[in-house]
Amino acid sequence: MKYDAIVVGGGHAGAEACLALARTGNKTLLVTLTKEGITFLACNPSIGGTAKGHLVCEIDALGGEMGKNADATTLQLRMLNLGKGPAVHSLRAQVDKNAYHRTMQHVLENQENLDIVEDEGAKILTKDGAVCGLVTASGKTFECRAIVLACGVYLNSRTITGEIIKDSGPAGFSNSKNLTQSLIELGFDIRRFKTGTPPRLDGDSIDYSKFEVQKGDKNIQTFSFLTKRAKPNIKVCYLGYTTAKTKQIILDNLDKAPMYSGVIKGLGPRYCPSIETKIVRFSDKERHQVFLEPETLDNNQIYVQGMSTSMPKDIQQQMIESIVGLEKSKFVKYGYAIEYDCINPLNLYPTLETKLVKGLYCAGQINGTSGYEEAGAQGLLAGINASLQLRGKEQIILSRDSSYIGVLVDDLTTKGTNEPYRMMTSRAEYRLLLRQDNADQRLTQIGRDVGLVDDERYAKFCKKMKNIQKLKSKLSKTIPPSKQLDEYLASAHETPAPRGLTIDNLCKRAGTDLYQANKVLHLFSGYSKAEIVEVGIESKYEGYLSRQNQLIERTKKLEEKRIPKDFDFTSIKGLRLEAAEKLNQIKPLSVGAASRISGVNPADITILLMHL
Amino acid sequence: MYNKHMENLTDTIVAISTGSTSGAISIVRMSGKNALDIADKIFFTSKNKKPSAFTPRMLELGKIKTKNFSEQALCVVFFAPNSYTGENLVEFQCHGGLKVANGIVEECIDKGARLATNGEFTKRAFINGKISLASAEGVMDIINAETDAQIRAGYDLLNGDLSKLAYSAQDELTDLLSEIEVSFDYPEEQIEYITKTKTKQRLIELSNKIQSVLETSKTGEIIQNGISILIVGKPNVGKSSLLNSLLARERAIVTDIPGTTRDTIEDSFVINGIKAKIIDTAGIHSTTDMVEKLGVDKAKALINSADIILFVTDSSSTLTEEDNQIFELIKSKEYIKIANKSDISKSLQKEPKTIYISAKTGEGIESLKKEIYSKFASPSLTEGGVIITNARHKQALEESLKNINNAIADIDNQTLDLISIDLKLAYSALGEITGNTTGEDIIDAIFSKFCLGK
Repeated sequence: MKYDAIVVGGGHAGAEACLALARTGNKTLLVTLTKEGITFLACNPSIGGTAKGHLVCEIDALGGEMGKNADATTLQLRMLNLGKGPAVHSLRAQVDKNAYHRTMQHVLENQENLDIVEDEGAKILTKDGAVCGLVTASGKTFECRAIVLACGVYLNSRTITGEIIKDSGPAGFSNSKNLTQSLIELGFDIRRFKTGTPPRLDGDSIDYSKFEVQKGDKNIQTFSFLTKRAKPNIKVCYLGYTTAKTKQIILDNLDKAPMYSGVIKGLGPRYCPSIETKIVRFSDKERHQVFLEPETLDNNQIYVQGMSTSMPKDIQQQMIESIVGLEKSKFVKYGYAIEYDCINPLNLYPTLETKLVKGLYCAGQINGTSGYEEAGAQGLLAGINASLQLRGKEQIILSRDSSYIGVLVDDLTTKGTNEPYRMMTSRAEYRLLLRQDNADQRLTQIGRDVGLVDDERYAKFCKKMKNIQKLKSKLSKTIPPSKQLDEYLASAHETPAPRGLTIDNLCKRAGTDLYQANKVLHLFSGYSKAEIVEVGIESKYEGYLSRQNQLIERTKKLEEKRIPKDFDFTSIKGLRLEAAEKLNQIKPLSVGAASRISGVNPADITILLMHL
Repeated sequence: MYNKHMENLTDTIVAISTGSTSGAISIVRMSGKNALDIADKIFFTSKNKKPSAFTPRMLELGKIKTKNFSEQALCVVFFAPNSYTGENLVEFQCHGGLKVANGIVEECIDKGARLATNGEFTKRAFINGKISLASAEGVMDIINAETDAQIRAGYDLLNGDLSKLAYSAQDELTDLLSEIEVSFDYPEEQIEYITKTKTKQRLIELSNKIQSVLETSKTGEIIQNGISILIVGKPNVGKSSLLNSLLARERAIVTDIPGTTRDTIEDSFVINGIKAKIIDTAGIHSTTDMVEKLGVDKAKALINSADIILFVTDSSSTLTEEDNQIFELIKSKEYIKIANKSDISKSLQKEPKTIYISAKTGEGIESLKKEIYSKFASPSLTEGGVIITNARHKQALEESLKNINNAIADIDNQTLDLISIDLKLAYSALGEITGNTTGEDIIDAIFSKFCLGK
């Protein structure tokens, strides 16, 4: 069989890659171990959160699927960081994990140009340094010109619960046993990472009255710019705490913890530690938070966030029962740690194509990242670039000032990572420009240019842009003095304006909100909430925004200074050997990227600039 | 600016490292690809061992043979990259005096080396990544140092004192930012998030710290450039005598005739390690004499550019309107009031804040020098603290301070995520000194300080 492109793995990265390829006219094959695993939420039943919400909005703005899928299966929606600045507002949805999987599977199965086969990708075939096909574990050979590897945590994975070590993928799915070897033969630098998941409990066995209820937020935005209205909040979450007893149980049984007995060798993430790690590393902390999150409407299964563990089953039981309200809880699944193979992301170009094999792309956890959203974002970018290459077009690189996706990929491909990489708002130096609310302004035109943004989305986007322009032109208008104006200002804890003030000046007052002001002052009509909010933010933070823009301008020269792909840095006289070797390994495509490589100092960059 | 210099990077360079002063020994240093080859051709041991076969960093005794002489000398070799410059490096220690050392340099040049330009060894050390920019600048300052204090400032920079200070300010910003950032990335944790009040308080402390370092930049400039001292006063109060006293020699012609000094006289001396340039002006008074007029105008211009003005009056007679007019000209500047001719005016009542001297007998000159020194000696200069001597460092610290002060000004009205923009700018400005601009350590700080769940 012959395809344009093959995607290996149907998780969050694989699904986006498949859709990006098929929707831009490439005959695409998805090879997945099982269709049951398509965008299966193997860990927490939620999408979004800090910085991750930004990624989902960006995926949507580019024409990806994750935002729509999350909006369609939401059980509860919250906007984190409300009350802080608009740049850190972060949307998070508790979703129905079964519905999330089914909805995405349905989308994939109904996608034109896309075939799905249940098999294991085993060997990558190459010719003259470029991809030419894939052999599966069942012995089939598929010809193709591009492959996106989105194997998640399945490569040679093993799960660990106490002394029980299983040769298995997550949640009992089978794993992928052959592909690592193929990657080693192609010259990839293979590493071993580790992550983990907490137990799942039977919701009927929990005494919820001992927990604090956490409700969703009303009237907030959705992930997708196309979703008309957010789903109602039909579920709540609960907050509780570990006890002194929990701590004692863990400390008494540390010798049985695979994390500390030397069984686990993979590198785990600092931001998602197991409960045993938290107790050991922060021993002065008396209690830790435990969130109970509903997994699906299909059953009463509860995800116990904060209790990730790989302790033996009997210890897990004691730990959970030591939490007030969970004394009688029944286990549905035990927590486990999972170790898996992944590649060093320094093997990748910022297009996500590998440096070793032309036409081979990698996305998601195989690149050493963590998280559904990080995976989806990479899958989309890899799919877009594989498609562009197949169609003979120039591939795209998203810059750090364009998106969190750009930050993510730049970090991975210039700095690498020594632990599963999680997106954080602190990683984005131009955070104020990279807001959820303006993701479409930043990326939809790019999505349109690469062929992923359809006419419906594009027309909606163009109308919004036009309205925003119109609104901006009205900012200089003066609001005449009135009782209503002063009343509004008083409600915003601002001083009255006896001579009136311009809309722009109103926006710039610290306590005001253009959308709320318009509701009482009727400044303009016929504009959507998103449009008004957007213009309000841009006016209020104009000073800070222009400061960030100046910063971008300053580094632009370095970013635009291109370095040829096959440039030999050791040929530069005067460049330190350490720097030259690092540069040769990473092969940055711009001087800007080179400057962010650790071990390359400003003097090296000066010397590099002299030679380009 | 680097291009020209890059073309020469492959050259082997040679120079006398001990400068032009005559000591017991002189050191000639040669660095570059051919340094060992050249050494092999001119240095011979009794066992016929070639310098290229020497054990690195071990002195060997032998003879240097040049066209004009054959001299006993010591030779030590360093192999790239384990040398000061990062290149092959050879040092010859020979008998003192320029004649021998120059002969060796000439011989090296004859065998293919070229004379090093000023500071070129250090430039190569920097280019080859052996020393940081701050260290390189420190070495350059030492090379150019003319006085003790200048040398000390150079050493401080070389030892990374300034880097240490920039690092500690950056550490504080890192810590503060990690406290602020954690609240955005982990809003649901049960940790004590930093308050605006606390943030502001810490920022003010940091601002003061950087401010106080910046104030030493003036001292730094003084160390680099010296201070300029201007002597003013009406004719015949003894300005030229004062100049001669300070210089401890007869520089200016002294007569009893008012207006003898018609142009300015410049010279320099050293006070406690600070280089002082001193200028004696023409007597300032209204005059019709064209030559003298030119001198007076120049004096008025000099008042504006001087670091300190010595205002000289005659203590043997009462102050005149002329004295007052001159004082009006200088009173907004840094000045010291001097009453001269104390030797012939002992009976008169002393005025406050005035130093009584006798330029003629030398009485009071030492206390005047002390007074001049104390006007410029900040604690850092006297106690060996950090002194900024470099414009690039000053600029980086000023940029950082500006952003910290922006944050302090805005913090009451803005959310902390906006304040963090200023703080990140302040952080990266310091990176100009420390070389650390990525901010990765902020994320490291978050994870090492806080127990975070999800």
